[in-house]
Amino acid sequence: MVVPLISFILLCPLAAFAVFGILGLANKRFPRQDYLSTAAMLIALACSFLLLREVVPSPEAHTVDWLSLGNVTFSMGFYLDSVTVIMLIVVTLVSSLVHIFSMGYMHDDPRYPRFFAYLSLFSFSMLFLVVSDNLLGIYIGWELVGLCSYLLIGFWFEKDSAANACKKAFLTTRVGDVGMFIGMMMLFTKFQTLSLYGEDGIFTLAASQLTTGDMVWLSIAGVLIFCGAIGKSAQMPLHTWLPDAMEGPTPVSALIHAATMVAAGVYLTARMFPILTETSSLVIAYVGGITALVAATIAIVRFDIKRVLAYSTISQLGYMMLAIGAGSYVAGLFHLTTHAFFKALLFLGSGSVIHAFHAMHAHAHDDEKHDHEHADDEEYILGSEIPPDQDMRNMGGLRHKMPITFITMLIATLSISGVPFIFSGFWSKDKILAGVLGRAMEWNSIHHYILFVIALLAAGITAFYMFRLIFMTFFGEPRNQEMHEMAHESPLSMTVPLIVLALLSFPAVNTLWFNKDYVKPPQQSHLHAPTHAQLAPDTKTGGTGVALSLFGVSEAVAAEEDAGQGTQDVHGDDGHHGSAHTAHTIAMVLSIIVAGLGIFLSWLFYHRRALSAESVATTFRPVYNLFWHKYYFDEFYDGVLVALTVWKARLFARFDGSVVDGIVNGVGLVTRDILAAFVGFFDNRVVDGLVNRVAKITWAIGGRIRRIQTGAIQTYLFVVLVGIVLLILIFRVL
Amino acid sequence: MTLQHYLVISAILFTLGIFAVLTRRNAISILMGIELILNSCNLNFAAFSRFMTPEDISGQIIAIFGIVLAAAEAAVFLAIILAIYREFGSIRPDEVDTLKG
Amino acid sequence: MEEFTLKTFIFYGFALTTVASALLVVTVRNIVHAAFSLMVTLFGVAGLYVFLQADFLAATQVIVYVGGILVLILFGVMMTSGRLEMRIHIERGQLLLGGAVALVLLMLLLTVIANTPAWKNRIDDGTELPPTTERIGELILNGPFLLPFEVVSVLLLVALIGAALISRKEVRD
Repeated sequence: MVVPLISFILLCPLAAFAVFGILGLANKRFPRQDYLSTAAMLIALACSFLLLREVVPSPEAHTVDWLSLGNVTFSMGFYLDSVTVIMLIVVTLVSSLVHIFSMGYMHDDPRYPRFFAYLSLFSFSMLFLVVSDNLLGIYIGWELVGLCSYLLIGFWFEKDSAANACKKAFLTTRVGDVGMFIGMMMLFTKFQTLSLYGEDGIFTLAASQLTTGDMVWLSIAGVLIFCGAIGKSAQMPLHTWLPDAMEGPTPVSALIHAATMVAAGVYLTARMFPILTETSSLVIAYVGGITALVAATIAIVRFDIKRVLAYSTISQLGYMMLAIGAGSYVAGLFHLTTHAFFKALLFLGSGSVIHAFHAMHAHAHDDEKHDHEHADDEEYILGSEIPPDQDMRNMGGLRHKMPITFITMLIATLSISGVPFIFSGFWSKDKILAGVLGRAMEWNSIHHYILFVIALLAAGITAFYMFRLIFMTFFGEPRNQEMHEMAHESPLSMTVPLIVLALLSFPAVNTLWFNKDYVKPPQQSHLHAPTHAQLAPDTKTGGTGVALSLFGVSEAVAAEEDAGQGTQDVHGDDGHHGSAHTAHTIAMVLSIIVAGLGIFLSWLFYHRRALSAESVATTFRPVYNLFWHKYYFDEFYDGVLVALTVWKARLFARFDGSVVDGIVNGVGLVTRDILAAFVGFFDNRVVDGLVNRVAKITWAIGGRIRRIQTGAIQTYLFVVLVGIVLLILIFRVL
Repeated sequence: MTLQHYLVISAILFTLGIFAVLTRRNAISILMGIELILNSCNLNFAAFSRFMTPEDISGQIIAIFGIVLAAAEAAVFLAIILAIYREFGSIRPDEVDTLKG
Repeated sequence: MEEFTLKTFIFYGFALTTVASALLVVTVRNIVHAAFSLMVTLFGVAGLYVFLQADFLAATQVIVYVGGILVLILFGVMMTSGRLEMRIHIERGQLLLGGAVALVLLMLLLTVIANTPAWKNRIDDGTELPPTTERIGELILNGPFLLPFEVVSVLLLVALIGAALISRKEVRD
């Protein structure tokens, strides 16, 4: 039952792409193509749900040999465990909803059919990536989703900003992919396979073959593979492409750049979890943590509604990385799922808002053009100008105009901000915080304490900027009266997905993650064992007992599942239940506090206006500038990397122009003037001379010999007779 | 009269014919030389027929055929000579040398 | 040596006539004289045929050669030669070379004739043979020579047509 289901899941979007992609090439608008593409995704979704039942008992793998190179055979296959199935559901669900949403949002686009073809291709690629049981398959899917991302960001390629953004996204992620490929090759060199599971898979081999001495090597490989995730999941320092990727249509932002593709990096990291060493885990955790914090701070000062969400996405992805790096495998993937839903919701909501302003956009186009010329005078930084329909400063008071959009986005915001108990985001975020703190207490590791603080800060800031977005968009007085008048609630095809996603932001539908038996983290303990054994005793003597008594409030369900979380880290060691429990309690309380604080501050600043954001910005001018300029990453890349590349290109161009061209021209000159002259001389004198001489000699001989042919019959006869006489004489004599 | 008498006469006629063909500067003279040669041949046939196989006269028949051939040859030869004369205005064989290399 | 009879005398007379007239044919400057000398030669040969008891052959020789070919030759002479060209030019060098070759050839032939054993001592015993005309007619028209005879007839026809075709004036329109 599994194989047909998985085939359906993969083939439905692929078929949709193949059929409509070809039709799209022919520029034919196929009737009901949007419905058929959506139907294909819905079938895939249904199959994914059916698969949920099938795979619960045990992971399942199906492999076929793909190609043989010498002694090495690459296989293609899929591996299905609970994580895969949940990812399948996430991808197909979000994709289906985005399909439905796009029917409304993209309806007037001239390349409407192509858009759906791209969406189908993306869905296929992402699903392929998710189900692949080997690094090669993952890499193929990985690059395919990268391609789709490129195509969809640049979907409105008439805009220079979109064209630049898609190139930037493609090239930036490529930097990470190079690292990933090197990492893959390191693993391949060591294990002679790229399969992950099974008897000959990398994980089994790593568990059985590797010694302690291999740890450094394995750490490097792990970090290199993580580089791919850095690029794809927009982690520091390769995060700059994601905000610019918002140049694509908003449904694309929701599907690819918020919910699924960017989560592929997290998924990959989670997949590689069994071979992550302590060092590489720590690197991952730090990268994730710093990204979470930095992106959150940048998001505070954005005015473009989609940019805010983009930085929020980066921040949340950092969170997931942090979780996996800190060993909270389940928490990371849990957050991935919940985030996929509420971030898709947020993006689709923002799309709904933008769509409401869209007619306005066309109207205000002339003005914008005028402004644009002004903007050109200043130093141009990619994505620095904001389209008027995405500028939150033009919004406000929309909650009456667009009630459904408002309510659903509010739910998502509450979820992402970590408002306790009834929203899924709280549980997943809390699980991460608890996991990090648990690891910190358990190992008594200063690193993880730092990471915990960072995560906590990021959580607070997240709550702040998300409510800033809500307040600026939906509350208060309309700032742009003209635009406000034009705004309207979106059509049903757009609001239905919002409602569905809003429902998914409640924890009830995410119960799979709460069932500790459903998702079992893979074993990592054999790799951790040496160092862990040394650390474990310290944790027991640490001050965790005090903490336990201080934050003694226990929450039964959470404790139980966190116990499961604890055992995942230290396999078979029951001694850490206590610390995990304690960590959970502390983390929960702290997260509720920082979330409340963030929301409260946001309310003060942007709703009550008790505090002025402008005055704070003026007071902390350098900090504000730092945030506003996104930590000068783009400036750094433009000023250093791009300039360096351009300088290098100029240098090479000059080298080309002078040295290479010089050599070529010199060779040409030598060939033409010297060699050719010599060859010409040789040809004229020697070769032609020989030919002419032979001809002359032949001519001369012929001239002599022709005399024999006198044309006089009598001469001939005379010769004949002489010949006869001679012959007779000869034979007589002999 | 022995066979050798005839053969000697024949040989002399033949040689004279050859001599005429080689030296004469007139096509008709050459034709005469050729007729001499043919006559010597016929004479040979007749002589051999008489002396070698007296009962069988096949040699004579061959000689008759030879005469017929000579007649045909003479006719064609003269026709050619006439054509050449019309073409070149001369029948001197050394002047008709368009095949000269 | 055989005895010198009248018959022998006449034979030598014919032989000498033939050789001498042939000699004239090849040496006389005037082409018309040469033609008449040729006639004498042909008659001489015909006489020799008679000595060989080839009566039909002798008759044919006279009719065809003297009556046909020689007349043809004379026509040719008249049609092609102006008065000035009646005389035959002979170059000295050519004459010498040709003469040398002919002489060598003659020596060769005589040597062969003298040295071939089968041809020695073949003496004409003088027996009268029946007239050959009937037998020749039998052989040609009802014997092994029928096919050659027909072939020769065709050859003659071809030669006649060919000669007419070659010698006629080309009609140009």
